[in-house]
Amino acid sequence: MIIEYYRPDSLEDALNLLSRKDPRTLALGGGLYINEVIKEPIAVVDLQDLGLAGIKKTGKNLQLGAAATLQSLLDSGLIELALEKAIMHQENYNRRQVATLAGSLVASTGRSALTAVLLALDAELELVGGGQRRDKILLGDFLPLREENLAGRLITGVRIPAGLAVSYHYVARSPADLPIVGAAAARWPSGRTRAVLLGYGEQPVMVFDGPEADGADIAARSAYSDAGDQWAGAEYRSETAGVLVNRCLEEIAEKREG
Amino acid sequence: MLDIELTINKETYQLQVPPGERLYSVLRRLGFRSVKFGDEQGLSGADTVLLDGKPVNSYLLLAAQAQGHELETIEQMGEYPDQGWKEGRGLHVLQQEFVKTGAIQCGYCTPAQLLAASELLQREPDPSEGQIREVLSGVLCRCTGYKKPVEAVIRSAARLRGEQVPPIEDPIQVPPEWLGTDPGGSLPQTRTVQVDGTTLTAERVITDIKVSNKPDTWRQVGKPKEKVDALKLVQGKPAFTADFERRDMLYAKVLHSPHAHARISSIDTSRALEIPGVRCVLTYKDLPRVPYSTAGQSDPIPGPLDCYSLDNKVRFVGDRVAFVAAESEEIAEQALEAIEVEYEILEAVLDSRKAMEPGAPIIHDQDDYVNFADSDPSKNRAAKIRIDIGDVEKGFKEADQIFEVEYEVPKVQPAHIEPHAVVTYWDEDDRLVIRTSTQVPFHVRRMIAPVLDLPIKRIRVIKPRIGGGFGGKQEMLIEDVAAHLTIATGQPVQYVCTREEEFIAARSRHPMRIRLRTGVKNDGTMTANEMYALSDTGANGAHALTVTGNTTKAMALYVGDGPYREAPNIRFYADIVYTNTPPSGAFRGYGVPQGYWPVERHMEFIANQLGLDPLEFRLKNALRAGEIHPFSVAWSEGRDPVPEMIQTNALAECVEKGKKAIGWDQKLSDKEWSRVAGKPYMKRGLGVALAMQGTAIPYLDMGGASIKLNDDGSFNLLVGATDLGTGSDTVLGQMAAEILGVPLEDMIIYSSDTDFTPFDKGAYASSTTYISGAAVVDAANKVADRIRARAARILESRVENATIIPEEIELADRCAIAPDGHAVTLEEIALHSLHHADQEQIMAVGSYMSPVAPPPFAAQFAEVTVDIETGAVEVDKLVMVVDAGVIVNPVTASGQVEGGMTQALGYAVSEEMVYDEKGRAREKDFRNYHIFSAQEMPDLEAIFVETFEPSHPFGVKAVAEIPMDGVAPAVGNAVFNACGADIHDNPITPEKVWRALKVE
Repeated sequence: MIIEYYRPDSLEDALNLLSRKDPRTLALGGGLYINEVIKEPIAVVDLQDLGLAGIKKTGKNLQLGAAATLQSLLDSGLIELALEKAIMHQENYNRRQVATLAGSLVASTGRSALTAVLLALDAELELVGGGQRRDKILLGDFLPLREENLAGRLITGVRIPAGLAVSYHYVARSPADLPIVGAAAARWPSGRTRAVLLGYGEQPVMVFDGPEADGADIAARSAYSDAGDQWAGAEYRSETAGVLVNRCLEEIAEKREG
Repeated sequence: MLDIELTINKETYQLQVPPGERLYSVLRRLGFRSVKFGDEQGLSGADTVLLDGKPVNSYLLLAAQAQGHELETIEQMGEYPDQGWKEGRGLHVLQQEFVKTGAIQCGYCTPAQLLAASELLQREPDPSEGQIREVLSGVLCRCTGYKKPVEAVIRSAARLRGEQVPPIEDPIQVPPEWLGTDPGGSLPQTRTVQVDGTTLTAERVITDIKVSNKPDTWRQVGKPKEKVDALKLVQGKPAFTADFERRDMLYAKVLHSPHAHARISSIDTSRALEIPGVRCVLTYKDLPRVPYSTAGQSDPIPGPLDCYSLDNKVRFVGDRVAFVAAESEEIAEQALEAIEVEYEILEAVLDSRKAMEPGAPIIHDQDDYVNFADSDPSKNRAAKIRIDIGDVEKGFKEADQIFEVEYEVPKVQPAHIEPHAVVTYWDEDDRLVIRTSTQVPFHVRRMIAPVLDLPIKRIRVIKPRIGGGFGGKQEMLIEDVAAHLTIATGQPVQYVCTREEEFIAARSRHPMRIRLRTGVKNDGTMTANEMYALSDTGANGAHALTVTGNTTKAMALYVGDGPYREAPNIRFYADIVYTNTPPSGAFRGYGVPQGYWPVERHMEFIANQLGLDPLEFRLKNALRAGEIHPFSVAWSEGRDPVPEMIQTNALAECVEKGKKAIGWDQKLSDKEWSRVAGKPYMKRGLGVALAMQGTAIPYLDMGGASIKLNDDGSFNLLVGATDLGTGSDTVLGQMAAEILGVPLEDMIIYSSDTDFTPFDKGAYASSTTYISGAAVVDAANKVADRIRARAARILESRVENATIIPEEIELADRCAIAPDGHAVTLEEIALHSLHHADQEQIMAVGSYMSPVAPPPFAAQFAEVTVDIETGAVEVDKLVMVVDAGVIVNPVTASGQVEGGMTQALGYAVSEEMVYDEKGRAREKDFRNYHIFSAQEMPDLEAIFVETFEPSHPFGVKAVAEIPMDGVAPAVGNAVFNACGADIHDNPITPEKVWRALKVE
């Protein structure tokens, strides 16, 4: 149950509110997840007036505001096709008008396509804490300890490399259904290749980060060798993960050649 | 409380709201009833509004978040064009096109679709179909299959660009002679059959309710008329149950069991009652213990009485424990948390195969269980069916080969976007009014009376518009909750189910395990067919017997050829067992889709094994016109069967048209077609399934209608039939208008209210157009006769020495026209009869019950692409060709087929309800229970092959349920054709395909 609502217009005010312990105070991006199940008494801090929705290219990176909506990312014309595909797969047209980038990352599950692609891109989060102290943390380090990482802090932006070859493939019961198993991969001009799996567990997992792509499919099979749940068996996920990682890598290779 | 300012439809509202109040509830409170509840995650999109011009989910936004933004609802879009003396704005082009194209079925999601489309057209005047489907992705529609809404947006865009759009054409031209009615005059008048040594005779049935108008002069029937309820729905008018509120209304919530099987050892409501705003908490201790069935069926209900409003035992996770009424939904939810319950947990039965094992826990061990037929609670058996037609063992002996395979079909949810909703209150005469989203208002009135200890005459049930039902509302499911609370408090009570409640506590399709054994000669002649079905009715036996009995319709389609055609050998045995899972019930198709998955997968398997053409094999053995429906001699919903002759059957023509539409011969003869360029792991395939449904329940289903002439020559048509979004009000109105010679707009159609409309058994069993339609024709004929008589009298008074025979008067163009051309308007006749001479009310009541249930037939085709490395299946195209008799309204009928195919597509590949080892549901929302959305739909094509069914005055048969039957097996067969994966249990998930290929 939301018992208090605030809409500060400065980061400082927002952080002061978020540092409170009683009542528990949470940042409100689009609100899709906080508003969905409201059981415990909480206060919310609406971020919409903080100017955190910007999207811009800075050098070789894209700087994405934490409060940028998923639709605004699509509309920016700056993001890779694979990221577009992941966003469109993750949220329908209505929800992505409101869903924010940071909110989507904080609420990630193992089936979150957007998170998987950003993880493949080795996205870096920018956080601001008490006293306006700014920190950076890699998405892969942030995800396992989301609550701890956000104690008294706020995500203000996400930085991803621009112009990388990226790919996202998944298997689902229907095209718009949640992925049962999926893979995302990115390749840097240096040959560095990262592969990420999704469809299982608490969050997408990075399974490969190497100077070249060799062995990524084996790593994927291994990473999902115990990934069995109500939605699919481990054997299936493991085998299919390898197939999908290979497809991602092939697509990336084709893009580079193209 | 927060002070906020909202701008809604360009008007400013100063409001005080709790910090956590959703935008949705504020809008509803302010009277914007076009904003609907569909689910808690915003995945249905029924709650859509525009925020700064963009579609968003109002249920997910706090009201406070919307401050500083512009909000728009459908109320600002357009209005009824004729506002009396005031010139109205008229409807927006989008609204007009939604009405014209048939994009509206139940209309519950229509405001949301319109808002999403309007946003698109604001920024993109010439959108692609892909763009349209993408913006509609945020709004789930369970009725239409999205084809017509997409068409409406395309046409709107063209009109807004200033282009002309073609009229909505009648795709079906009345043929000079109806197809398949009596080919070559060869149908016999009677046919006999031996059953257990007794000779039974089936006769041809020609209706004695006549239509004087010839088909080639029809102006209403057979035409794509706009739905009569479309205008209110396209404006988002408050037409649904939850849109209706009363002063001092309370809100109900239900506490549900967390255990699959338990006895309530103690329950303490004192803390809940102390919460301010809580008016009432009811437990089993407070209510009379009345066993009943929730199944909305005619009297006597063909099933056990094994339900109680509240009991001291819970039988599934989601079962009822207590009812709460409070001043708000939030307070009621707090009260649920405060009820203290201690349970004695009992061993549960979750697997239907273990339900009847010796020593299995007994789910219904209460003394007051009321048996029906072979129900036996001591064995966890709700019903049993044993049907033998012919000599099955002899048939197997005569076979060259016998094929035996086990199949399985899952539990699935109707998933109507409007949840179950009810409002109850005492009226000024101390009669209980129940306004409810139901398919069966008259059954609800009859069935709830003993539960409430009220006589039927003190209950009035009103059915407003229904936001989809699909069988899920053929149930007296929640009406008792609100009614008990109204009785307890004296106040109006509203109860609207959450989406989670729809999944854990409402009714779903029976899952079945089915074993098929078929004897076949090497030339493809079937000699015997045997099915055993183990059906899981869940914790209650509503519809247990009749749903599974209906599964026989799938078996009835194939009788065999040659001598077996005359005397088929068919066996159908079934046990319907209780388990500690949510109760099963009615769902569009009513047991028949469960039968067609195994039967049509099996037919494909046999054809493949014998090297036969799958379509020739099917048609060789399929039932034909002039033959006796094999199960009509053995089964009639638990009543005495009467043999029926098939009079119309255009199955062969359906197959031919379907083959052409999907490119069957060309694609299957082209090896390259099955390959996908650049993707060697992708394989294309085609599949087919044939289907036969029923039309109503013979000697049981009855519908009534009344028609009254008004001063201006218009008519009130009152029907008890229940339009749940299907367009039945429109179709019934078209029939009446045809006979009375008026345009459809002169028929004022109302359904249904147990105080005012004649009885109708309700919307189920594909019966409304056929049964209620015949009742309407009956009433219209009687009114027409009286109009003609008075017209003759008026005309004779006007024309010197004229003798006018009333029977020769034609009713057309709002006039009664004598053979000599003299005419009098219906308005003149109305004024004459009501005011001028020998005053009388021209009015009549008609009713109809049918001795037959003429089956519609269909050929369903599917085209798929299978990824043989991952097992993923993409359905590319579905074509369904249907013989549903005469099509009264091609737009509403094709909408039924497109929407039905879409639901069936979910049954094929994505929909199922799974429970863990404690009986807890995996699927509790639209995130995990995936129904198809606009942007992922395959190409859909609905084609009709019209026959004239002589047992109905307009020659109709049913169309509503048959689209559910063939899609899943056709997709299964297409997957088999594509890659050889032979899947025996639907849905066809990627892992199943992958495993099947691995085994291969």
